[in-house]
Amino acid sequence: MQIRSGRTMTPPALDGLDTNIIEILRTNGRATNQEIAERLSVTAATVSARLQKMEDARVMRVVAVTDFSAYDYNVIIALGVQVQGRDVEAVARDLADLREVLSVNIMSGSHDIELLVALHDFAEVQQLLFAHIADIDGVSHISPGVAVDMVKFEFNVVPL
Amino acid sequence: MTAPAPTSRLDQLDHGIVERLARDARISNRAIAAELGVTEGTIRTRIKRLQNEGLIQFTVVTDFRMAGSPNLCMLGIDADPSHVEELARSLSDIPEITCVISLLGRYSLLIMGLFNNLEQLNDLVVQRIRPLPGVQRVETSISVHNVKYEAGIAKITRKQGEG
Repeated sequence: MQIRSGRTMTPPALDGLDTNIIEILRTNGRATNQEIAERLSVTAATVSARLQKMEDARVMRVVAVTDFSAYDYNVIIALGVQVQGRDVEAVARDLADLREVLSVNIMSGSHDIELLVALHDFAEVQQLLFAHIADIDGVSHISPGVAVDMVKFEFNVVPL
Repeated sequence: MTAPAPTSRLDQLDHGIVERLARDARISNRAIAAELGVTEGTIRTRIKRLQNEGLIQFTVVTDFRMAGSPNLCMLGIDADPSHVEELARSLSDIPEITCVISLLGRYSLLIMGLFNNLEQLNDLVVQRIRPLPGVQRVETSISVHNVKYEAGIAKITRKQGEG
């Protein structure tokens, strides 16, 4: 049974060359088109064209993932938000406008919205939670959980 | 160039490099060097250092559609405090679980995963998570819509093999 049926779209078909290019970039996203081409016995122009095609179709993207600590984000909070008296999606969009909010998901569960928030230190917690977030119209309750340890964090499949 | 703040692990040049890579992960070292007015070798050395210290990683993200448009599911777990660390390790070993965070506050642990159907999610909770020692309660919620996601910033938990 599919949980969500409405948003599902048929993905573009990938051939063997496309998947081989993706595999090489998975282990080394900085491999040059020339290096990839040599390993797959094709031309660099072919690699470049295939990458362009896949990016245009929003199939994949090579990303530079930077660790929280590189930006001096030392406080990571998983925040559950309950909404009352306003459209949940409108509240979610207002929350998404905050720079410190890295992800916003509208949930079916005990909370209407789940956020992942990154802050430099505890001094910023009060300002963000009680001034910025609590001030958004429709936010009726917040449940913060402060990350002590992030043991696993692998997001290779994302909304593009 | 101003000295970096003592707490910062990156100096001004590092920040400049990270900023350009965040915009385009495949920009050449030569192009970064030209923009920042340093040599290509300096850029190469800096990027290597950032990678070795686990501060940056280059990888491929694929779209939800390519995985059959799964739903992101979050599970909040309440557990006996003496079991939390061990639980975090056991949960990390389950391949379907992509994210394991130990928390202070609302739950003992927050875990996430992508699931294509409810049976798969329920089997995981009932058969593999609830029986783990120390688990007291598992609260499930399902993302119905992603409004914001920053793919470029994360916790780098393991070193990447060079291809």
